[in-house]
Amino acid sequence: MSYLQLDAVAKHYGSRTVLRDVSIDLKAGEFVSLLGPSGCGKTTLLRIVAGFDQPDSGRVVLEGRDISGLAPAKRQMGMVFQAYSLFPNMTAQENVQFGLRVRRQDAAAQQKRAREVLELVGLAEHAQKYPHQLSGGQQQRVALARALAISPALLLLDEPLSALDAKVRVQLRDEIRRIQQETGVTTLFVTHDQEEALSISDRVVVMHDGVLAQVGEPAAIYGEPANIFVARFVGAVAELPGVVADGSGGMVTVLGRQVAASRARGMAAGTRVYFLLRPETVRLGPPDAAGMLHGTVIARTFFGALTSLKVEITGGTDCVTAAMASGDAANIAIGSTVSVNWDPDSPRLLVA
Amino acid sequence: MSRPTHNLIPGLGLGVIGLYFVIPLVATGAFSLWEGGDKYGLAAYAALIHQPKLWQSLGLSVRLAIQTILVGLVVLVPAVFWLNLRVQRLRPLFDFLSVLPFVVPPIALVAGMTTLYTGPDWFVGTANYLVVPYVILALPYTYRALDVGMRALDLKTLTEASQSLGAGWMTLILRVVVPNLTTALIGAALLTIAIVMGEFTFANILLFNTFAVYIDYVGQTSATQAAALTLLSFLITWLAMLGVLFTGRGGRGQVQIGGAR
Repeated sequence: MSYLQLDAVAKHYGSRTVLRDVSIDLKAGEFVSLLGPSGCGKTTLLRIVAGFDQPDSGRVVLEGRDISGLAPAKRQMGMVFQAYSLFPNMTAQENVQFGLRVRRQDAAAQQKRAREVLELVGLAEHAQKYPHQLSGGQQQRVALARALAISPALLLLDEPLSALDAKVRVQLRDEIRRIQQETGVTTLFVTHDQEEALSISDRVVVMHDGVLAQVGEPAAIYGEPANIFVARFVGAVAELPGVVADGSGGMVTVLGRQVAASRARGMAAGTRVYFLLRPETVRLGPPDAAGMLHGTVIARTFFGALTSLKVEITGGTDCVTAAMASGDAANIAIGSTVSVNWDPDSPRLLVA
Repeated sequence: MSRPTHNLIPGLGLGVIGLYFVIPLVATGAFSLWEGGDKYGLAAYAALIHQPKLWQSLGLSVRLAIQTILVGLVVLVPAVFWLNLRVQRLRPLFDFLSVLPFVVPPIALVAGMTTLYTGPDWFVGTANYLVVPYVILALPYTYRALDVGMRALDLKTLTEASQSLGAGWMTLILRVVVPNLTTALIGAALLTIAIVMGEFTFANILLFNTFAVYIDYVGQTSATQAAALTLLSFLITWLAMLGVLFTGRGGRGQVQIGGAR
C-alpha cells in the first residue's frame, strides 16, 4: 500500500487549469522530487499536500486516511520553504522547539529533541543565535531541523535551496539527502533544478502544464525520456529530425544519411522520429567516410574538466553538442570539420 | 585639516531648525519660572504639584491613553494582519477608512457619536466613553504603524510555517506576529499617548476633566502655571520617546522592523 497517495488531484485558478487529475503514489521512506519549469503546478501540488491549498477535485490520502479536508496544522507535516521562514524573534533552538511547544511537550523533552535535530543538521553550536545572525544556508538548516523536530509524517521541501549560492546549495542538497536517509522520513521535494532532482531523489516526477510528463528513477528520466518535453527539459540533448529507414536493421535516415540506432529496431519504416543525442554520447573524430555524420565545430564552452563543442551538421542548420574531456577538446579547433559518431545504443528515438 | 565648507551648510541648517524648536521652549521655561518683576523661582511648579486636580486629570488621561492603546491594538492587530495576509485587495478601503478621522472634524464626530453610541452608565456616563473617539482619532497612526510593520514581515511564509508546525491562529498572532512588531506597536502606542494626552475637543464638550482640559483651565487662571504645565506635557512625551529608544536597543534583537536580514 502506498504511504501517500495523490488521487486525481485537480486545481483551477479562475479559467486557468493548474493541475489536471494528477495521481502520484509515494512509498514510505521514499524521496520524491517534483521537477518542472515555473508554472507547471509543482508548488501548487505541494501546497495541496500541505493543506495550504484545497484541490477542486481529487483526494490526498496519507496512510490510508483521506486528509484532503484537514487543516494544515493538523496534518503533522514538516515543511521547509523557499523564503527564509524562521521566526525572527526566536533563537534557532526556540524555532526548533516551536512545534513541540505547540504540542505542549514538557520543556526537558523539547530541549532534548531540539538538541538532537540541531546536531543532525550540524548546527548545535548555533542554537542560541537569532536568524539574523545566521547565514542563508544555516537558516535553511534550522528550518529543516524545525520541520524534523515534530517527527513529521511527511517532509515537504518547497525549493529550499533556490535562495542559496551555488556552493552552499550543493552542500545542503547532499546534506538533505543524508538526513532523509538517516531519519527515513518520506519526503516530497519541489525544484525546478534538474541536477538537484536527479542527484538526490529515489524517484523524479517531471511535471508540465499541470500534468505528469514522466515518473521514474533519475537514471530512467535522463536516459529514457518518455516524451520530447522530458527529453528537452532534463539534461542537454541534440534533437535531429529522422525517419526510420530500416526497422529490422535499426537504421534511421538523419539529414540525408543512414545512421545506426538500435532503438529503431521494431519500428515501422517511414516513421518520423526525434533522433536524440546526449552530449556525453557523441564522439568527434577526424572526417572520414565511415563517420555517421559530418559537421563543422562552431562553438566551444569550457566547464573545467569537460568542454562542450557545438558542431553544425553538414547539409543543414541542425547542431549536435559533444561533451568531452577538456584535454581532448583542446586539439579540435573551431572551424574544423569533424566526423560525428556514437554508439548505436545511445540515440533515443521518440515518435514525432 | 579644515573641514570643507559644504559640510558646514547642513550643520548650519540643522542649527537654525534647532533654534526654531529650542527658543520657544526656553522662553516658555523662563516664563514658567517668572514670579513677577525680576523675581524667578519654582513657585508655579510648587503651586501646580499641590493641585489635586492636576493629578486627577493627569491620571485620567494616562488611564484613557492605556485603554485606547489596548482597544486600538486588539481591534487593529488582527484586522491589519488579515488585510496583509488574505485580503490585500481591500487595502484601498482600509487606507480610506484610516484617514477619515482627518477629514471629519472632531466637532462633527462628537455630535454623531453621542447619538450613535448609547449603553450602560459605566460606559456612556463615565470618561470611558472617550475611548471610543480616541480609538478613532488614533486610527490613522495605529493603522499606519502596524501596516508598515506587517508589510516588512513575510507574513505568508511565517503564517504557513507556524501552521505546518501545528499552531493555531491565536498562537500565530501572539507568539509570532506580535513579538516581531515590537517597534511598530511601541510606535503606535506612543502616538496614541501623544494624541490622548493632548486631545481637548471631545473631553471639553463631553465635560470630562482630562489633562488637556485642565491645561486650558489653568491657562485661563494662571499664565505661568500653564507654561509650567506645557513643559510638563513635553517632558511626558520625551520620556516616552526615550523609552522607545531604549526598548529598541535592548532586548533580544527582535525590535527590528522586518526581523530577518
